[in-house]
Order: sequence, then structure tokens, then C-alpha cells
Amino acid sequence: MSLATPTTPRLSGPTQGNDAATALAITGLRKTYGERTVLDGVNLEVKAGELIALLGANGSGKSTVLKCVVGLADIDGGAVEVAGHRVDGHAGRKHHDAAMVFQQIHLVKRSTVLENVCSGALGRLPYSRSWSRSAFPKELREEAMACLDRVGLADRAHDRAGSLSGGQQQRVAIARALCQRAPVLLADEPVSALDPAAAEQVMELLRSLADDDHMAVAAVLHQPDLARRWADRAVGLIRGQLSFSCPPTELTEQMLGELYAPDRG
Amino acid sequence: MSLNLLPTPGPAAAPPSSARRLAVPPRRRGVGGTVTALVVIALLVAAHAWGWKTTEFSLPQLAAGWQGMVGFLSDAFPMDLDWESVVLPGLQACGVTLAIGLMGTTLSIPSSLLLAVLGSRATSRNPIVYQVARAIMSFFRAVPDIVFALIFVTAVGLGPFAGVLALILHNTGVMAKLWSEAMEEMDQGPVQALRVAGASSAQITTHVVIPSVIPQFTGLLLYRFDVNVRSSLVLGLVGAGGIGFLINQSISLFKFDQMMTYILMVLVLVIVVDVLSGMIRKRLNA
Ligand SMILES: Nc1ncnc2c1ncn2[C@@H]1O[C@H](COP(=O)(O)OP(=O)(O)OP(=O)(O)O)[C@@H](O)[C@H]1O
Ligand SMILES: [Mg+2]
Repeated sequence: MSLATPTTPRLSGPTQGNDAATALAITGLRKTYGERTVLDGVNLEVKAGELIALLGANGSGKSTVLKCVVGLADIDGGAVEVAGHRVDGHAGRKHHDAAMVFQQIHLVKRSTVLENVCSGALGRLPYSRSWSRSAFPKELREEAMACLDRVGLADRAHDRAGSLSGGQQQRVAIARALCQRAPVLLADEPVSALDPAAAEQVMELLRSLADDDHMAVAAVLHQPDLARRWADRAVGLIRGQLSFSCPPTELTEQMLGELYAPDRG
Repeated sequence: MSLNLLPTPGPAAAPPSSARRLAVPPRRRGVGGTVTALVVIALLVAAHAWGWKTTEFSLPQLAAGWQGMVGFLSDAFPMDLDWESVVLPGLQACGVTLAIGLMGTTLSIPSSLLLAVLGSRATSRNPIVYQVARAIMSFFRAVPDIVFALIFVTAVGLGPFAGVLALILHNTGVMAKLWSEAMEEMDQGPVQALRVAGASSAQITTHVVIPSVIPQFTGLLLYRFDVNVRSSLVLGLVGAGGIGFLINQSISLFKFDQMMTYILMVLVLVIVVDVLSGMIRKRLNA
């Protein structure tokens, strides 16, 4: 369907010029849990139209970076700017310029695909238009259908979300994120639970969101190979500190070896 | 921590032909554990000795009362199966009992839902509202439905209406607690996902929490219906109508043969409701 763009993984660096707007800017981000410093001065910029891959070993702080951006975790130091707005660093504050998808997908399994996609728009709906699914405006349903079409699942609109395959559910989650109309999309291990074919499809979709919709996409990946083939830039995180940020073609075995070195700490 | 991966040498070592074995390291059991166990046992024994005395538990007394039991049973059989005066009123009263249980359960849904939403950590973010809702729940749960029934009988008079009102109050407390816990146990992932999208707590409640817990809610509702039908029997004993009222009447008139018929009807009623609600719950869980 709308995934019509041929499967041409990109092998070169970013195509966006340096003049592209910075959609996500993280400077000196610090995060501590009790005594533990989980993020220690992380700097990261993602431009509109750019897809970056965030790499790092388990526990290196990748998910925490994303959580700080969307407000699921408090910020202890540094600054986060999303689409030019400063995130104030308190969990639960109201900004929804960044959308997020998760490894565990987190759809409401018993609701329909379309209802799930519509719920991405809740942040901009007053309660009078959202106290029940039946109160959703018609324009929202149609926008949600367009988002579903974007991920190639318009024909499954009225199916229960739980009845779809994992790969399809992840695409529904992306459609829900699109319905949020956020310029920034964060994806925490979006393909870790998917089979290789479904993973390709999701990566292709993320690529096209950057290329065609000029979204800034940051995806946590555990497969350097996927980063090489789909991302504009690979960013490595070691124990809460940035270790590299380079075009994925420049990733060396030595960099990866250091990134995933066992028994540190 | 050290792992000994080498097989233990000597006679304990496995013969080369069989599967490899490793000696189980001795498990350390402190003296503290044994002492705790002894103290717990002593406390339990003391508690039961006290209970035995307090309730005047007495096997000789039971043996002495045996005569009375036999006399009672010989009065109860044969059962009085007269259609006009016993069976038909009994069936009608069973209907009343069932109706009390049904109305008491269904009419407590709105209040239970409200209290559950306000008193569940999954949906209520204001600590004061949460605590107040929990307190109201605890109160209605702590006061037995029979006490509410006695109050309502004096207020609205003898009859099934008092029973319905009593069940609504007590069941609201119990069902709100069960429902709020069901909401707390649900997967928080979808809640987080929509929080990221900027949804408010009220929106998350209607679009994530309630749709996700519908099967649990329905199962608990059926379970409460089952319990409430049995409660409404007891409420009948204090004047709230239904088959319980007839049983009470026949006992005070020493008509044990009638009472036996009513008890048999109760047995059938309870089993039918139990089996039916069990069947539906099983289908829901499947
Ligand atoms: N809520 C929390 N409370 C305390 N510590 C936490 C919390 N969340 C994360 N951490 C700690 O922060 C560190 C970074 O966690 P994070 O989830 O960001 O790692 P990650 O890079 O996403 O790892 P993975 O690849 O396993 O997902 C870990 O050591 C983790 O134990
Ligand atoms: Mg993670």
C-alpha cells in the first residue's frame, strides 16, 4: 500500500543539508536514580528529516534518554528542547511534541486498531470530545484512517489490535504516534521483538517518516547492522555517556567492541 | 559467590557412562529459622486453646444434644410438598430472593465504578481523593449487609426493597475494592504510551483502563451476583422477604417439614446460580 517506496536501504550519510531545522536538542542531560548516575552529560541533536540509531549495551541508559525527552522521567540536569520548546524536566508535564513507540508496543489490545490510532490525538482533544470513543470527531477518525493507510494497515481498521501480528501491531503504534502530529518520533527498540521481515518493514517505515514527512526519528536499536543500513547517524552510549556519533558507515568493529564490552562496572 | 563446575572426586563421582552429576551444596539453615517456627507454633496453639474456651466448645454437649437433632430430623421428614401452601409460595419466594440479588448487584454498578476509579492508584492521581474513596469503600465493606438490612427494615419497612438497599450499600464497598485492584494490576504500558501522547488521567481511564479490564470487571460482577443471591437469603431471615423469610417463618412455627422443602429449594437455587455464573466466567477467561 503506502509502503510503496522500493526497499532501498540507504548506504550513504545524511541527505539533509545542515540547514535543516533541529527538532530535538539535548544538551548536558543528567539523570540520577538515587546514588546512581544513569546519564552523565549527554548531548544529542536530531534534525527534521533525520533518522538516528541509538546504540548501547543493556543498562547504558538508552531508554532513559528517551524517557527524559517525553517526560516519563524527571531531568536532573541539562536541557531538552523539542521543536523549539524547552522541556521543563518534570515527569507528567504537558507537552506532546514528541511521540514514542515501545518494544512492548503497548496498544490497548481489546480495542480496535482505529480506536488505538485515534487515542494518539487525546492530548489535543478537550474532554467533551473524548469522554468516550463515540465522542471522537469525524475529522479525527478520518485523520486516523489516513495514518493507518500510511503504515499500510487501513484494511484492518476495525480489527481488534490484539488480533494483529507483532509487526502489524508495531505499525499501528507508529500510526498512533503519527496521529499525535508530533514532529519528533522516539522508538525504543521498535524491532527487537519482531522477526527479520517485520523488522525490515518497520525500519523502512521509520526511514520514510524521516524522508517523506521530515520527522526527526531517534530509534534505539540492538542490531548495528540495521543501523548501518537504515540510519543517517549512529550514536553510541556507554554507561550514560556518549561514546561516538558518526555516519553508520564509519562504524568500526572496534567501536562496537568497546560499546558491547562485557563485564564493565 | 563461587561456582564449582568440576565433578566431585572420589566414590561420589558418577560413573563415566551415566549423565554428569554435581553434589548439591548443603543449604544453610540458621537457628533463627527454627526458633521462629517454634514461636509461631506456640502462638497458634495458644490462640486455639483460648478460642476453645471462649466458644465453650464441648463434645459432650454435642452428644447430649444428639437426641434433639434426631427428633428435629424425624419432624422434618417426610418433607411437606403440598403445592398450594408450600411449593408454590416457595418458588415465588425463590424468585424474590433472586430478584433482590440481581437488583442489589446491578444497581451498585454505578457507585462501585465511581468509587473504584477514584480509589485506584491506576486512575486516581489526587492523594486526598484517593484516600477518601478508599475510606468510603472500607466503611461499606466493613458494615455487614445484614446490619444495613436491619436499618432499612426499620426505615422502609419489612420486605425485599430493604434487602435491595442493603445489598447496594455493602456490595458497593466490596465491588469497588475488587475493581480498583483489578485496575491496579493491569499492564501499565498502554497507560504510559498515552501519557506520552498528552492524554489526561480522565482520558486514560476511559480509553485505556476501562476497556482493558472489562473481562475482569465482568467476572467479578458475576462472582458478586453469586454471593449476593446467597446474602439475600440471609437478609430474608431478618425480614427482607424471599425464601429466607419463609424459612424463618416455618422455624418459628415449628413446621420443620416445610422448612426442609424450602432448604432444598435454596440448595437448588444456589447451585444453579453458582454453576451458571461459573460457566460464564470461564467463557470470559477463555
Ligand atoms: N526507574 C528506575 N529506577 C532505578 N533505576 C533505574 C530506573 N530505570 C532505569 N534504571 C537504571 O538506569 C540504567 C539505565 O537504564 P535504561 O533502561 O535506560 O537502559 P537501556 O540502555 O535502555 O538498557 P536496555 O538495553 O536493557 O533496554 C540501568 O542501570 C537501570 O538499572
Ligand atoms: Mg531500554
